[in-house]
Amino acid sequence: MMNFRNATRISGVVATGAIAALLITGCSRGEEGDGGTGGEASPGITDTTLSLGISSPLSGPTAGPGSCTVAGLYTYLEAGNAAGGFEFGDGNTRTVELTYLDDVYDPAKAVANFRQMVDDEIFAYVGALGTPTNAAILPIANEEEVPQVLLVTGATMFSSDQDANPWTMGLLPTYFDEGRAFGELLVERGEVTVAILAQNDDYGDDYVAGFEAAIEGSDVEVVASATYEPSDPTLDSQVTELAASGADALLSAVSVTPLQVGVLTKAQSLGWLPEIFLPSNTSTPATVVVPGNGAAYPAVYSTSLSKVPVSPAFAEDEDVIAYNEAFAEYGAGIAATYTPHCAWSYAEGAILEQAFAGMTEPTRASFMEALRSIEDFQAPLLLDGITVNTTDPTLPAIQGLNLVQFNGTGYGPVTAG
Amino acid sequence: MEYFIQLVIEGLATGSIYGALALAIVLVNRATGLINFAQGGMAVVSTFVAYALFNAGAPLALAILGAIVFAFVLGAFLERVIVRPFERGDPDTAVVVTIGMFVLLGGIAAFFFGYEPRQFPSFFGLETLNLGGVFVSLRSLGTIVVLAVVVVLLQLLFRGTKLGLAMRAVADNPESAALSGLPVSRLLMIGWGLASVLGVIAGVLVAPQLFVSPGMLDFVLVYALAAAILGGLDSPLGAVVAAWFIGVIENLAGAYIDVIGNDLKIAVPFIVMIVILIVRPQGLFGRKVVVRV
Amino acid sequence: MNNTLAKLAANTWVRIGFAVVVAVVLVVLPLVSSKYVNYQLSLIAVFGVAILGLNIVMGYAGQVSLGQSAFLGLGAYIAAYGVVEGWPIPLIFVLCAVVPAIVGLLVALAAARLRGLALAMVTIALPIIGIPLAKRLREFTGGSQGTTVSWLRAPEWSGLDHDQWRYYVVVAIAVLMFLLARNIVTGRIGRAFRVVKENESVAIAMGVSPYKYKVLAFTIASLFGGVAGFLYLGIVQYTSPETLSFHTSINMVAAMVIGGSASILGTIIGAIYFVFVPNLANQVNPQLTALVSGAVLLAVLFLVPGGIVSLPRRITQAIRAVRRRAGGSPPETPQSPSDRVPAPATTRPKSTEKKNEGKRQGQ
Repeated sequence: MMNFRNATRISGVVATGAIAALLITGCSRGEEGDGGTGGEASPGITDTTLSLGISSPLSGPTAGPGSCTVAGLYTYLEAGNAAGGFEFGDGNTRTVELTYLDDVYDPAKAVANFRQMVDDEIFAYVGALGTPTNAAILPIANEEEVPQVLLVTGATMFSSDQDANPWTMGLLPTYFDEGRAFGELLVERGEVTVAILAQNDDYGDDYVAGFEAAIEGSDVEVVASATYEPSDPTLDSQVTELAASGADALLSAVSVTPLQVGVLTKAQSLGWLPEIFLPSNTSTPATVVVPGNGAAYPAVYSTSLSKVPVSPAFAEDEDVIAYNEAFAEYGAGIAATYTPHCAWSYAEGAILEQAFAGMTEPTRASFMEALRSIEDFQAPLLLDGITVNTTDPTLPAIQGLNLVQFNGTGYGPVTAG
Repeated sequence: MEYFIQLVIEGLATGSIYGALALAIVLVNRATGLINFAQGGMAVVSTFVAYALFNAGAPLALAILGAIVFAFVLGAFLERVIVRPFERGDPDTAVVVTIGMFVLLGGIAAFFFGYEPRQFPSFFGLETLNLGGVFVSLRSLGTIVVLAVVVVLLQLLFRGTKLGLAMRAVADNPESAALSGLPVSRLLMIGWGLASVLGVIAGVLVAPQLFVSPGMLDFVLVYALAAAILGGLDSPLGAVVAAWFIGVIENLAGAYIDVIGNDLKIAVPFIVMIVILIVRPQGLFGRKVVVRV
Repeated sequence: MNNTLAKLAANTWVRIGFAVVVAVVLVVLPLVSSKYVNYQLSLIAVFGVAILGLNIVMGYAGQVSLGQSAFLGLGAYIAAYGVVEGWPIPLIFVLCAVVPAIVGLLVALAAARLRGLALAMVTIALPIIGIPLAKRLREFTGGSQGTTVSWLRAPEWSGLDHDQWRYYVVVAIAVLMFLLARNIVTGRIGRAFRVVKENESVAIAMGVSPYKYKVLAFTIASLFGGVAGFLYLGIVQYTSPETLSFHTSINMVAAMVIGGSASILGTIIGAIYFVFVPNLANQVNPQLTALVSGAVLLAVLFLVPGGIVSLPRRITQAIRAVRRRAGGSPPETPQSPSDRVPAPATTRPKSTEKKNEGKRQGQ
């Protein structure tokens, strides 16, 4: 047994040494949570630079959207840096750096990443993807007074009570709003039966809640509903269940692309051809509607808030051309495939630029104030008419939604039907 | 009644997805006595190869063939280079090695292709047959048929050929097998190679529905493991029957038992499996192993 | 070199001195480290306790468990519910230990007769059933959005920051759990576990009931898992169905093997690995975390199949081998008893029946 004890002692020494090394390399206890009162600069900002941080899933099933939340923002920032930097309201022009980390959609890791970046002195935490990950960070961000803003999630919890959580704000219209938009469209029809397929979490819940809020008291009736888990390999049995109701319309609150395609193919194979509502993140023609043969259905609706840079329909648009050029240079290495999140995070960069321009002092508090004062801003890549308005403390930064209808190749305005 | 039959058909189709991978797991276990998490990883990488070949312009059949060859070589290579040193040692370590391979292979696939799901064409086309009010897709039928054929071939291999017998000998008792003059090393590599081929067949069968992505088989793997164990780890037929059983039970429970619903239906096959295993530990079709002291 | 170190190690005073040094370091660390470092160190303590439970049932007693995350999650949820309801903290702690232990006991009573892979499947079923259950019971769990809490705040009189206080609480509890585990595995129960792991028939012949001890091992593991859940909530202050993720279970098993199974020190190393490798991967390239993690795991196992805890022995063996070759003297026969210390790879006697059991042919 002597050798074993030997091993134990040596290992113990090694472990102690490792911890000691940790001590030295880990930052010593400094000041944190400086909201920046009294004009003293917050961490992460100098006269010439500003440091931002983001933690999103860069591996795993949500890595596609996760990578895009980084890539679009990174593209906008680097393009701006290359053009000379961003102008700030205090007179300085600064380059903006973005640090990004992978959290594999795990809340504990997201918190670790957040703490690490705060330690490494980022000025603000922006544009992160995910509900549980951001939910875990929310109390910490607000306690330490670090901006946690323009989050890429439609969950209402991040924007609905900004008086209680003054350092947090969401970017996107909520799932509730999307569901409500669909509901409002149907209400105009009169008597309609609806089947609902929803993801079994806050995403699906919020969709359904918004939808049901809109149809309350009307002649629209929900005759069947089913849920699914994102880990389900197929939704065929759920679709079979719903098809048995023969409903006129289907609200398919599905956020996983292959599953959504499966819904489209399965329903028609059963001979069920309802009008279909698709959420904005699983409605891209090239990856969802066309493979699913959406043309077979009387109507496929979705909501849209951004232009689609990879679609020929937008090829002539100035903003799209600029985006594509910049993305090829800066963002393509981060996100290989396009998801709408790339466009959204690019627009987010523009919103940040507005906030920078409004910052009179190099502090986080001044940043938040400027961020909250944006009105009627037309960000690049957002559809005409969708503007950014951050003045309402119960709403996310982008509120508008366009209802659109699939027209065989892309989306266009809803045709009366 | 139609609804019921439709649900059963759906269950069989979904079960076929699990069963395809379960066969690969059974084969590896038969050949090397290991539980191999990397089965999913090898299948995914090989399916990506099929995807790449197809996208480069090869006809589908050729792309699949190319992927099969790749899979065989990959399986044999991984066994020889990475798994071999651990086969005689602690089984826990060996399992963790397969876990490591699973993660690494997924990471490699992601490195080359990213995480976004890619479309893959169905070998059987997209049509749906209407059989008296019950709709069955050609793809599901094709999957079930291919599975059945593979099961028969595997049974033939293990019961009727010298190769199969040799592989079983090596799995049961490597030292005696070596002493009897069997080329143990080569047999192990062939075992893994074949299992990898089964894996890519599974991958290619399910890719039209699941889309090709590094994580496409993550969840299917768990179901496949359950099916393999429920069926008795040494029985290809058992694995497939168990997989079908799991698929059907899940669907029926989810649709007909309200309190279970769609979210808890996943629990039903596992609970049923646990009950069955308690009553019959060797699985539905497995042989009882007698351990002599 | 060996002899001097061995003599040193045997010296009681050296051992005590060493323990004091470690204790001082542990106490002083949070006072000088940033919140991020404290968070990481606390997480090591949290997962250390969880992996410790896993090691007891899997490393020492030889029963595969791929569901430890379910007990971690259960403990975290119990704690979250208790905090929200305002229960006293000691009560919450006791519940976090007892309730998962009872669940583990019930599961083990049913499943302990199963061998190897069938048992593994049952344990896999735990997180798989647990996650939708956590989503379904939303009055208790907060549903898929999870529950955020704010507790274990540093009391005024301590003058500490919250993260420092939480570090002390968590590390103190973890140290107690480790001492408890050490007592279990070095005592009669631990010896019984080892016999059951090696050969159940021999155990029966010795009057040790494999079934009873397997159930015991599993219950202990679940208890440790539940306590780890309590600690988890203390540090992360948030729990959601993701806490029960099957992935976490698998990663804990991997960490256990990498640190060194059937070893208390190995558990600590495993926990360090569990917490730091994702960070390491992020530093290398945030987009290639899976690639890096998988590669690191395989690399470590190739170099030290017995786990990192066996590294010193590997090094001394290598040195001895080099010396032998250089000196040309015949190999020392038979190697001193110390070398026969069980590395997990060599524990199993080489007869065929036991090889079958060792390979866990799913019976």
